[in-house]
Amino acid sequence: MTLSLGRAADSSLEEAGAPQPAHLVDAQLVETRLVAFYFLAALAYLFISMLGGFLMALQLVHINPLRGIELLSPGRWRMVHTNAIAYGFLANAFLGALHWAIPRLTLKPVFNRTLSYLIFVAWQIVVVSTAVGIVLGQAQGLEWGETPVWIDPVALLGLVLVTINFTIPMTQARGPLYVSLWYFMAAFVWTPLTYAMGNFVPEYWVNGTSAGAIGGLFIHDLVGLFVTPLGWGLMYYFVPILLRKPVWSHGLSLVGFWGLAFFYPLTGIHHFLYTPIPMFLQYGAVISTIAVEMVVTTVIVNFFGTLRGSGREIVTNLPIRWFYTGMVFYAITCFQCALQTTMTFQALIHFSDWVVGHAHLVMFGVFSMWLLGIMTYLFPRLLGRDWYSRTLCEWHYWLSAVGLAVMAGDLILVGVFQGFWWGSLQMWDVSVDGSQPFWIVRVIAGVAMFAGLLVFLYNLYMTWRLSTAPAPETARLPAATA
Amino acid sequence: MNTPTVTTPAVRRRQLMVTAIMALIVLVPSLLGFGNKFREFILLFRGDVDGVFAISPIMNYLLAALGFFCLFGWAMLHGMFHDIEEPKRHFLETERELDRRLPNPPIA
Repeated sequence: MTLSLGRAADSSLEEAGAPQPAHLVDAQLVETRLVAFYFLAALAYLFISMLGGFLMALQLVHINPLRGIELLSPGRWRMVHTNAIAYGFLANAFLGALHWAIPRLTLKPVFNRTLSYLIFVAWQIVVVSTAVGIVLGQAQGLEWGETPVWIDPVALLGLVLVTINFTIPMTQARGPLYVSLWYFMAAFVWTPLTYAMGNFVPEYWVNGTSAGAIGGLFIHDLVGLFVTPLGWGLMYYFVPILLRKPVWSHGLSLVGFWGLAFFYPLTGIHHFLYTPIPMFLQYGAVISTIAVEMVVTTVIVNFFGTLRGSGREIVTNLPIRWFYTGMVFYAITCFQCALQTTMTFQALIHFSDWVVGHAHLVMFGVFSMWLLGIMTYLFPRLLGRDWYSRTLCEWHYWLSAVGLAVMAGDLILVGVFQGFWWGSLQMWDVSVDGSQPFWIVRVIAGVAMFAGLLVFLYNLYMTWRLSTAPAPETARLPAATA
Repeated sequence: MNTPTVTTPAVRRRQLMVTAIMALIVLVPSLLGFGNKFREFILLFRGDVDGVFAISPIMNYLLAALGFFCLFGWAMLHGMFHDIEEPKRHFLETERELDRRLPNPPIA
């Protein structure tokens, strides 16, 4: 098979004569420097988010190092924690990975590289402004939609520009689309619409119960229509490359995609069971959630079908281990989701730490794990050097995976206890005192995860330092195994 | 370099069956459930003015679903599902070719 990367790119390859550094050849299609910038920004926000989470966890065990400073009160830190993970870490890491994957899938560079850099700068301004606005007390009263009202139009414009920049090369791709491109295309349409719905509709047009229903749709659609399609799209891209074999069934992957497209948009109201929202809407949300669980099953079956016969890769191939650990956590969270949407179970766990454990399992255990796996694979390619220390990569994985498993398990368990305490009409203090041992365990687990991130940052810094030194003759790019 | 994956007719039949079964498991109960609840919504909408406020999430869903229904039709008409397994092989070949162009290809 002969590929053309475009006349300019091809001729520059031919004229080069002497072999070029690998990362420069990658750059014919991919703006590798921008991918690295996005990943570094994402890691900076992950650091801030984890710091915020750590401070909140300390607050719950009666330690507040920022006591008396109103601007840094726990309620504001908590919002910085959740927004930094969504718009700082996840959005930046996704954009970085998309700048790698889409040009290689379509064989077209992004629509405009200058626009890509403009979006990068604008998005950092949006995220920092959101954090500053929250700290100054200008948060909107909507979970995950706390971005101050004055930054919302800028954020929406940025999302529309992202859509334009990526969708144009995708529409120019020849032949039937690979499933990743279907997911990406859908995410580029869904994300600006979801953002507009959550940030503008309750603010300017509807109120009361209707605004509550929109809020429920918004928060869950951010997970299902922004994070999920991008996450799965990237997994369908990276897993076959790293396993060096195609996905088990492309047809089944498309069932998953179209199932998500038709059934996900109504699930969000399951966050508001037992509220004044009409029961038929609540039951509709329950049914569509169960339908989505079926869809999820097709995706899980497909990925484990792909792994069949290559199970040893879980041990030897670190990015694959990150990916499949995330998939196991994904299966667990979806099973939890199916339980949570039953009215009986919802009555037990509503408002409890079960929900917090579930959220951490989804956001860190699944999507952050996938993105950290992608970074583990791509950073050496971006820097043109293998990792400074494979052992430190292992430490990063184990501290993150075990820390997350302990934290999520701990919070899920205490959530059940809290539900029973409240259900038996015990005094509020009883549930708070009873939760203390679990909250102490949560601090320890969080410290382990934070330590994992610090290890990763140190390893990355040392790898970057080595990459700036002259390369030995035998230097090779890392392959599918990190 | 791995040998290319060979898909025999038996494997293709099995994949098609799994795909069809999963699609039925997802589609039939969901369509029944949603259709029933939508009928209830119409009844409420006609009989109770307070039910009007529920229209925004429903309209939200219907617009999104309509858009994807159109996209699905477009994809079918443009042969996107003609050889449904071909894109997975083409994509991997493209990736291999891109990596082969590197002066120092990734270590296999």
